[in-house]
Amino acid sequence: MSTPTRLVASSTVPPPRPLAAGQPTPRRRTPRRNGRGAIVKNLVALAVAVVAVFPILYVISASLHPHGTLVGSNSLFSQVDLANYIRLFNSPTQPYGAWFVNSLYIGIVSSAGTVLLGALAAYAFSRMRFTGRRVGLVSILLVQMFPQLLGVVAIFLMLMTLGDVFPAIGLDTHAGLILIYLGGAMGVNTYLIYGFFNTVPASIDEAAKLDGASHARIFFTIILPLSAPILAVVALLSFIGTSSEFVIASVVLTDPPKQTLAVGLFQFVSQETSANWSVFAAGAVLAAVPVVALFFALQKYIVGGLTAGAVK
Amino acid sequence: MTTPLAAREGAPAERVPRVRSLRGLLLKMALLGMLDALVLYALLALAAHEQWWLAGVTAVSAVAVNGVYLSRRALPAKYLVPGTAFLVAFQLFVILYSGYIAFTNYGDGHVGTKDDAVAVLISKSLERLPESPAYDMVVVERDGDLAFLVTDPDGRVSLGAEELPLEPVTGAQIDDDGVAVGLEGYRTLSFPEMIADQRRIGTMSVPVSDNLEDGALRTQDGSLAYLYAATLDYDPTADTFTDLETGTVYADRGTGAFVADDGLEITPGWKITVGFDNFTRAFTEDSIRGPLLGVIGWTFVFAGVSVASTFFVGVLLALLLDDPSIRMRRTLRVLVILPYAFPPFLSALVWSGLLNPEFGFINQTLLGGAEVPWLTDPLLAKVSILAVNLWLGYPYMFLVATGALQSIPRDYVEAAEMDGAGPATTFLRIRLPLLMVTMAPLVISSFAFNFNNFNLIYMLTEGGPQDISTEMNVGATDILITLVYKVAFGEGSGRDYGLASAFSIIIFILISAIAAYSFRRTRALEDVHR
Amino acid sequence: MKVNRTAAVFVASSLALAAALGGCSSSTSSDDPLASTTSSAELTVWVDANRATELEEIAAKFEADKGIAVKLVQKEYGDVMKEDFVKQVPTGKGPDVIIGGHDWLGLFVQNGVVARLELGEAEAGFSDVALRAMSYEGITYGLPVSLENIALLRNTALADETPATWDALIAAGEAVVEAGDAEYPVLVPSGPESDPYHLYPLQTSLGAPLFGVKEDGSYDPADLQIGSAGGEAFAAKLVEWGEAGVVNTNITGDIARDEFAAGKAPFMLSGPWNLPAIKEAGVDYAIESIPPAGDKPLTPFVGVQGFFVSAKSENALAASEFVVKYLGSEEVQLDLFAAGGRPPALTSAFEIAAAQDPDVGSFGEVGLDGVPMPSIPEMGAVWNYWGATEAALINGTAGDPGVAWSEMAAKIEADING
Repeated sequence: MSTPTRLVASSTVPPPRPLAAGQPTPRRRTPRRNGRGAIVKNLVALAVAVVAVFPILYVISASLHPHGTLVGSNSLFSQVDLANYIRLFNSPTQPYGAWFVNSLYIGIVSSAGTVLLGALAAYAFSRMRFTGRRVGLVSILLVQMFPQLLGVVAIFLMLMTLGDVFPAIGLDTHAGLILIYLGGAMGVNTYLIYGFFNTVPASIDEAAKLDGASHARIFFTIILPLSAPILAVVALLSFIGTSSEFVIASVVLTDPPKQTLAVGLFQFVSQETSANWSVFAAGAVLAAVPVVALFFALQKYIVGGLTAGAVK
Repeated sequence: MTTPLAAREGAPAERVPRVRSLRGLLLKMALLGMLDALVLYALLALAAHEQWWLAGVTAVSAVAVNGVYLSRRALPAKYLVPGTAFLVAFQLFVILYSGYIAFTNYGDGHVGTKDDAVAVLISKSLERLPESPAYDMVVVERDGDLAFLVTDPDGRVSLGAEELPLEPVTGAQIDDDGVAVGLEGYRTLSFPEMIADQRRIGTMSVPVSDNLEDGALRTQDGSLAYLYAATLDYDPTADTFTDLETGTVYADRGTGAFVADDGLEITPGWKITVGFDNFTRAFTEDSIRGPLLGVIGWTFVFAGVSVASTFFVGVLLALLLDDPSIRMRRTLRVLVILPYAFPPFLSALVWSGLLNPEFGFINQTLLGGAEVPWLTDPLLAKVSILAVNLWLGYPYMFLVATGALQSIPRDYVEAAEMDGAGPATTFLRIRLPLLMVTMAPLVISSFAFNFNNFNLIYMLTEGGPQDISTEMNVGATDILITLVYKVAFGEGSGRDYGLASAFSIIIFILISAIAAYSFRRTRALEDVHR
Repeated sequence: MKVNRTAAVFVASSLALAAALGGCSSSTSSDDPLASTTSSAELTVWVDANRATELEEIAAKFEADKGIAVKLVQKEYGDVMKEDFVKQVPTGKGPDVIIGGHDWLGLFVQNGVVARLELGEAEAGFSDVALRAMSYEGITYGLPVSLENIALLRNTALADETPATWDALIAAGEAVVEAGDAEYPVLVPSGPESDPYHLYPLQTSLGAPLFGVKEDGSYDPADLQIGSAGGEAFAAKLVEWGEAGVVNTNITGDIARDEFAAGKAPFMLSGPWNLPAIKEAGVDYAIESIPPAGDKPLTPFVGVQGFFVSAKSENALAASEFVVKYLGSEEVQLDLFAAGGRPPALTSAFEIAAAQDPDVGSFGEVGLDGVPMPSIPEMGAVWNYWGATEAALINGTAGDPGVAWSEMAAKIEADING
């Protein structure tokens, strides 16, 4: 698998790229060369979307069925009723509304922190040369590969001790959980951002430097805006990762009003006596809404990309 | 780690006029000031809790951080410190802690200190004397010494204390129920007073006679006492428990429990360090050696195929949906990432329902009532797991690839197209290699993630279907990490964190060796664009 | 160095900020660092959300009577709560009192985290099975609160009476199926790894309980009975029932409940937790004893929930007092029944509850024949072997049933005694 990489590396590493992105390109858009090809592509895309969506349709159908179950109710949308959604918000012991808000809060704060920490580190790795750089790059990735079988025991003890001294970040606090999540901010995310930074021509910062801009100014006002696509991707990945994280959250947050959606929802199905699939399904459907909304909001940054916004 | 860079970085900087903006400086000072204020507060709190060690670490780190930001040098460190601080505090700690646990016998039966274990053993060894009644009592005090004023069921009143057997007394004040509630020369404790002294009262043992076999009175609530006889005698100087019935002596032989000559342990034990024992066990444990090769093989297949399939589908989709000839691209993009928007444990639950052989949607509706044993046939279960993992995992690759594709300058592609390269060639020669620059590290870490993807396996099949003819409870879909879980947590008498940690470390070494090797092979770290 | 002046300004300003921070924190959390040494007695109780609400009143009463506050900490009932207890107690944290299932007791005792508890006079008020569940190796550790067990549900529209034996029940069920009124002769909740818990009554009726019983009624883990001749007979029966479709590993608990609620079966093995769904679906049912498959005593497993006191409670005296005298009262037991719907363990409270809700009475009566689910720490491994073997037998992949069963018994024995 390394062969093609190397092969191209030599053929495309080419000359420092001329700052030509701003010039009008000769062909703005590929003309529709092949009508049949386009139809096939459309069909393939549609087929993948159908496969992606059908289990979810199933969940939505169950959530709309007053006595719906996830198993054995195979006629989709045989009944449509919003009762389960209403029930979600009417259980004092299972405060779905609070879970929703908690998940949003934890997801947003963690993903903002992850983007910031990751981008800072990526800037250093991408633009500066220092001893230990390569080792550092590899180590941040290797650290994430430790099997977390016992992670929760360590995290639990750590937060318990911390909580004695600083109650604000102890067990059962959102701040404590967010700090734990930020511990993983470096790693794959840094790598993603690092890879993207590398594609931003160094000549841009050289020019800015000649104009007397400080490194911080270059980072915040030039590199970051140019990297919007990857920052949006990292924000989304980290939002999804933290708002649906279950293992750590279930150990750290035990007081029901403080829990997150993933932890709270699990109760709907884990308690045999009150296993309620249809309400659970409704809860899961709503839980996916922020993610979808966030993706909608970020999509234009993700795909609007460098070519459009690059060097104005 | 910082100086060489500063030197290099400094070279062009000579020409740069110093135009550090005042606003930037103020902002930096404000942030650093807030941090230091927090640190000071933390130091005070740590000092109040006498956590000197933590306080020292905090102080040293704070000084270092201030040094980094106040100095004009150490430029990379300025950018690396924030993320690294979190990484060290919250991730490295977990690893180091697991490392430490691997050298202990921590696990069920060995969770506390030796003192706790002794206290529990003493309490457990007490046997309530058969047919013995409950005695009404109050706790009385004289000169700071506590005693039990006991009224037996026949109405006789007596007084006794630790090491002072019960002696009948006369002249006690008796209440309406015939219970003695006070005695001349003694003060009866009120409930709040008893609460204040409850540790002492709860462990008091008042013999009923000089003969120990007659038992001793103890109370748990200060108003009723029960008669107990000990079955084990603890000798604090010899540090042994002796079974009073059989004469067996249980001694601390350095294994974290009191053990008899014949190896019989009494529980609970306590936590001690055990050197490399857990590692020795990890390599010699029979229950893991038998199925090990098969499990390792499947683990590699599972992780490899999962990464390859999600990468392939994700990248293909990203390219497809980057193609302007596709209609409704925005909507389709949202639809294809939907599997990622649901909490993964929910998806696994849904899939295990969909794949139910008799009632699942796949068999019943899509396959018209076929009974394909998706999760119960050893081979099909593997296929199903891979399929579900593809469904769960490709949106990640899709998202990353979509983002990374934007970094590929369109003019590279267009230049190639103008040279007459077809779409396949431009993809293989230009887009894929450039994509790999960003994605290769992710592919490697995705491999590592799947290598340890405990949750998916456990939620879908719990490692099953199980072959009951084997000695071990190993199933067809067990990967290394689930096998470790079963061995360290599921077998025998409970969870063995020490053994699990040792396994974690071994797996970590294995997987990071693979990853480090792959990094070198893919040369992902080469800066293609520079 | 040039940084000096900036640094000085900066250090001064951050000192000021720290002072301000310290100022607010000391005013808001003055009871924090030093107060712990003089700890005014307070009981911490871990309890699930439903029951926490019901316990508020009694907690207030205890405080009024004794001057000791009771802090009810809501925890999600289940494994997390159980493991948190085991993790926190040795560190000196953790609650004074916890509500839990009796099957957690083995783990608690093994780790020395639970204190013994004399119930005294209160003991007489509880049923035998509840008391046996709360004791481990002959020592009582908890105050029982509620009982739970399975029974036979009969759809009264499909079957007029419950036959006297399991074989007759299958025949009766098959007759209903043949008449086209139902799809299943009987529903037994199972799953890919089968469900030894639901099958256990039938297994015992063929003479293969898991353990023998000591004189005092407690289990004797040294006397493993599961591998007896009765066990092999049961294994053969499982194969037979699997072929006939009476027991089916594709029928999970959810499917069984839904199909019964849809009126597709005349009989079902079920616990009380399925009743709300079945009632909601409008199926008329009767709750009865499970007909035996053999001629030995049929004993379903009973699960008991109760309150336990931490072995390292700083407030042991107050905690025992609160648990035995207050939580053991009829009033509290009825309140907790209202919260969870589980039959109370206190006999007098049970009778009142049964009068209010006949279903509770019916389940409770079946439970009187039951035995507590074993709580030894090795049960995790035992359930695993047991379920896998039963699943293989039901699916007809186990080979010779007698051999498969005795291999399983050998593995269980090796795990418990090894």
